[in-house]
Amino acid sequence: MSLTARNTSSLLIDSLCDRARKENIAVAGLYCDFVSQQEQTITNIMGAILKQLVGKVGIPSYLREAFEEGKAEFGGRGLRLAGLMGMLRTVIASLSQVFICVDALDECLPKCLPELFKSLSDIVRDSPSTRIFVTGRPHVRGDIQKCFAKAVVIPISPNPNDIRNYVEMKLRKDADPEAMNNDLWADIVRVVLENMSDMCVRPFIIPTLSMMDTYQRLCVDSS
Amino acid sequence: MRWLSPLEPNNRHQTVRNDRLDGVGDWFLETPEFQEWRSGEGGVDKAVLFCSGDPGVGKTYLR
Repeated sequence: MSLTARNTSSLLIDSLCDRARKENIAVAGLYCDFVSQQEQTITNIMGAILKQLVGKVGIPSYLREAFEEGKAEFGGRGLRLAGLMGMLRTVIASLSQVFICVDALDECLPKCLPELFKSLSDIVRDSPSTRIFVTGRPHVRGDIQKCFAKAVVIPISPNPNDIRNYVEMKLRKDADPEAMNNDLWADIVRVVLENMSDMCVRPFIIPTLSMMDTYQRLCVDSS
Repeated sequence: MRWLSPLEPNNRHQTVRNDRLDGVGDWFLETPEFQEWRSGEGGVDKAVLFCSGDPGVGKTYLR
């Protein structure tokens, strides 16, 4: 998933958490990732959401009992999806509002998607004030709208100010500051921004990589 | 709590937020779409907000 969208997810989570602190509101979410795809099963995803919500309301007695029962069986049995969903329903009902954020939906295991959509739509049906935030590559839009026909879509693309700030932040953190001078700095920023037209539909990372290439080329030229 | 799920989204969140640059993306929090979504007033119909963006190439190298 693009750095831009991932940034948006983390920004949104922080913004919601800051507001939720004083209210009976909870924020839960998940960053999907190709690397740990196998672990991102539907029960693990819903379990992670429940775990985060329980952090807000405290561990309910029925969850403690289920854990004690499970622990004594077969070396420790976990909950199945139906059990998790029942507990989620109860916990969500005890809160005035719940936000669930799923980052990089397209990196979720494809066979998990139908169950994930079904589970999310069950949650919203039972608790209509629940808000769900999803990021993903454009191609998952159809899947989302199959389940949530009126989902609001916001396309994300890098904007020049964000890119300038990001490039300058990276330059400030450069491991070899002696190689930098004002002209080189200005050239790097200029070249990256000039090439933005090629990049505007691509994620943030492209300018960053291009910047590194440019930086190296300019260093070679000036030596 | 690990019994509920081995996934620990908080770890990932901490990594991403530490790497986030202040101010980047603030425009998003000001969009009417986000504000309306957050209010929760639209009920079931307005429950889902989807941010779409193209994939990154080589993001692993940046981390």
